[in-house]
Amino acid sequence: MSRKTVSLFLALLMIFSMASSLAEGAGITVTDMLGREITLAEPATSIVVMQPSDCEILCAIGCENTIVGRGQYVDYPASILEVPVVQSGKETNVEEILALQPQVVLMNSMSQSEEQVKQLEENGVKVVVSSTTNIESVYTAITLIGKLMGKDAEAEAVITDMKATFDEIRAKADEEPKKKVYFEISPPPYLYTAGSSSYMNELAEICGIKNIFDDQEDAWLMISEEQVIERNPDYIVLITNMGSAGVEEILSRAGWGDITAIRNQKVYNDEDSCMARPSPRLKEAAIVLYNFVHDIAAEEKPAA
Amino acid sequence: MEKERYLRRERFTPLTYLLLAAALLFTMILCICVGSVGISFSDTVTCVWNAVTGQPVPEGIAKNIILNVRLPRVLCVALAGAALSICGAAMQGLLRNPLADGSTMGVSSGAALGAIIAVATGFTLPGFSFGGGMVMAMAFAFGSLILILSLAYALDRSMSTGSIILIGVIFTMFISAIISLVITFASDHTRTLSFWTMGSFSGVNYEQVIILGAALLLCGGVLIRFSPELNAFAIGEENARHIGVNVRRVKLIILITVSVLIGVCVSIAGTVSFVGLIMPHIARMLVGPNHKRLIPASLFSGAIFLLLADLTARTLLSPIELPIGVVTSIVGAAAFVIIFYQTRKAG
Amino acid sequence: MLAGDHITVRYGNRTAVEDLSFRLHEGEWLMLAGPNGAGKSTLIEAIAQGLPYSGVFRWKGEDIRTLKGAVLAQRIGILSQQNRVSYAYTVEEVVELGRYAFKKGMFSGKDEQGAGQVEKALEMTGMTELRHASMLTLSGGEMQRAFLAQVFAQNPQVMILDEPANHLDLKYQKQLFSLIQAWLKEPGRAVMSVVHDLNLARHYGTHAVLMDQGKCIAQGPIGEVMTQENLRQVYGMDVYEWMRTMLSQWTEE
Repeated sequence: MSRKTVSLFLALLMIFSMASSLAEGAGITVTDMLGREITLAEPATSIVVMQPSDCEILCAIGCENTIVGRGQYVDYPASILEVPVVQSGKETNVEEILALQPQVVLMNSMSQSEEQVKQLEENGVKVVVSSTTNIESVYTAITLIGKLMGKDAEAEAVITDMKATFDEIRAKADEEPKKKVYFEISPPPYLYTAGSSSYMNELAEICGIKNIFDDQEDAWLMISEEQVIERNPDYIVLITNMGSAGVEEILSRAGWGDITAIRNQKVYNDEDSCMARPSPRLKEAAIVLYNFVHDIAAEEKPAA
Repeated sequence: MEKERYLRRERFTPLTYLLLAAALLFTMILCICVGSVGISFSDTVTCVWNAVTGQPVPEGIAKNIILNVRLPRVLCVALAGAALSICGAAMQGLLRNPLADGSTMGVSSGAALGAIIAVATGFTLPGFSFGGGMVMAMAFAFGSLILILSLAYALDRSMSTGSIILIGVIFTMFISAIISLVITFASDHTRTLSFWTMGSFSGVNYEQVIILGAALLLCGGVLIRFSPELNAFAIGEENARHIGVNVRRVKLIILITVSVLIGVCVSIAGTVSFVGLIMPHIARMLVGPNHKRLIPASLFSGAIFLLLADLTARTLLSPIELPIGVVTSIVGAAAFVIIFYQTRKAG
Repeated sequence: MLAGDHITVRYGNRTAVEDLSFRLHEGEWLMLAGPNGAGKSTLIEAIAQGLPYSGVFRWKGEDIRTLKGAVLAQRIGILSQQNRVSYAYTVEEVVELGRYAFKKGMFSGKDEQGAGQVEKALEMTGMTELRHASMLTLSGGEMQRAFLAQVFAQNPQVMILDEPANHLDLKYQKQLFSLIQAWLKEPGRAVMSVVHDLNLARHYGTHAVLMDQGKCIAQGPIGEVMTQENLRQVYGMDVYEWMRTMLSQWTEE
């Protein structure tokens, strides 16, 4: 190798390293959904995700292979189940997260304690917090995660796709809602449902139906059985994750027999939990809900 | 003290009963008429009257809400309140301990654990949908009682007020931990942890009303039958033996009776704390400590108290519903402090 | 009437009563004497079947272990020490509980003498006026009399009294002991009692069992048991001398 080539090579190397250090200086700065600023040198390539919905977002923008650890309830898509779990029940195992050496931990605003966040950050792991209740916040989360992973374009595409689907359904649906729906998140004795600030309320709106508890501001609330009977929904959507037993139980619930939805057996069980999570799959959720209230068999897929 | 020295209660007890019964009736009517959904008084009366007299009930929301939701719930609450209250009265007498109760001693937690294990392991009795949970709850309630009493006896032979409660608290914490563990491993089947710790009467049905009613009739009868023995225990176990009470046998019968009642209540409505602690005290203020009068008085006042607590839980933030245990615990914890303070002062 | 044969009571490793035998005959007032911890109260609790023991107590020859609690309570009335009360029972309610053994049982039916016995018991102990008083408001002496009234209400053949003079002032001590003495005059009755006051024991007792550390030191007619020598052995002091010193304070005046 001649001296000339060597110096050229060195010069090139210098330029490259300068360029890359320049890029590093710019890095990626995101503002997470608690308003915290997080700066990364480059798009994240190894990530631990605690929340099922965030995982679905990651997968939707093509980052499934960056996930090195997951929360206990993260179960979609099925292939994710091979990734190690770093949580049991409500307890997050900080040691296991550190052992996986991720660059970023993506978590939900309510699930982790401040101490745990601090502990992770002190050990050089960035913590990004998402907080999703309505569809708008899902878009924000998608944009945030897209930026974090350096996949802004993909994130934009996912959002556009979701919006397009919603618009399409909205165009077909009744403008003035005629039918009413009741979302059941938890069965008796503690009946939980969705109020007006939840994405479920928006799903109902998109499909041209009315959530019977849209007069309640909270996203999630515990309600009295009597109220459901009085408000007499035409449709019931179960997001209770109880399988067919859940449907049987609600159909035979004492005093509920005269509710229109029960009499007509219009109970939808969200078995693949696409409605249970504020994720890109809300697109499918909207289609499923629209088809359900318009009696369209799933195979026909007219809305999609 | 001097003014309280002479007590001539027996003269006004029949009237007290009448008043208590009237108050219970009034409270029940109130609880049936008032709810999260407003239904007119006349509609309510028509519904209940027609149903009771066997006439056709006009179809509609009123019928469903009143007859299928509110009435079974009100009946269940009244029966459970009565049951928990007489259990408290019996335990306070038996152990000569004014702070004894299913919830302070950890018996309810034990029963809850039993019910949860039954659900988690799929243990059922054939032809009886929730029989498994109920039987397990009773067995665990009894086991807990025996365990707590033996521990208390081993640690402190005089079984003083404080040591039983202390053991009860520790036992409750221990059981809660195990309950959390079982729920973590069997989360798909069991009801939520908050149900077992805070209780709820939402979604109860007539089947449960009948079971509770039968249990209350049977066990309440036993407790009233054993009221002389309870009086003897309330004065002192040694004294009871001296006047000829078969101490071991009576103790066993009463503990089993109490376990059955608590087991049934917990398997239906979860842990509803403090009813059995406070209401016997109120009843004692009204009719004195003689169990012949105290048990019936506790029965009425317990039913009234729990009905009002449930009414509050149902309607305070309507349409949002609170767990009933939230209401009873807030009232109960305050009352507990007062009672504890008074017993300390007296003892 | 009542006899104990080779009674031994153990609390874990400690022997509270060791191989003790005694006889209580009709018309006798048997005093259990001895220093603290001699096992006197333990012996009484064993008779009440409240403790595990070895040996046999016999009621007119019959092992009392075979008797039902209620039957035993109809024959033997026991007044124990300490009777703290937690609830506001009235004196009358407590005394009425003395009739428990007579009201109970399928065969005995109604307790016809009950009311009369309660009335009599209240009267004997001077508690008639306080019958509606709350137990929580009683003085120590009143409480003692209330529980004694309960024993009287049981109308037993044998009374076993653990420290009946407890909390009583001199006047009531005298009244009470005279009362028991009068009660004892009726045929078919006997008394056994723990009395710390040796003067009272000596004055009212007919017989005595002198105990020390669970063992019987001496027993027999009161005069033969309460000797200077026996008492010195048990109490570790010259009791006679002490009594004289005490008494001299009064005679000098």
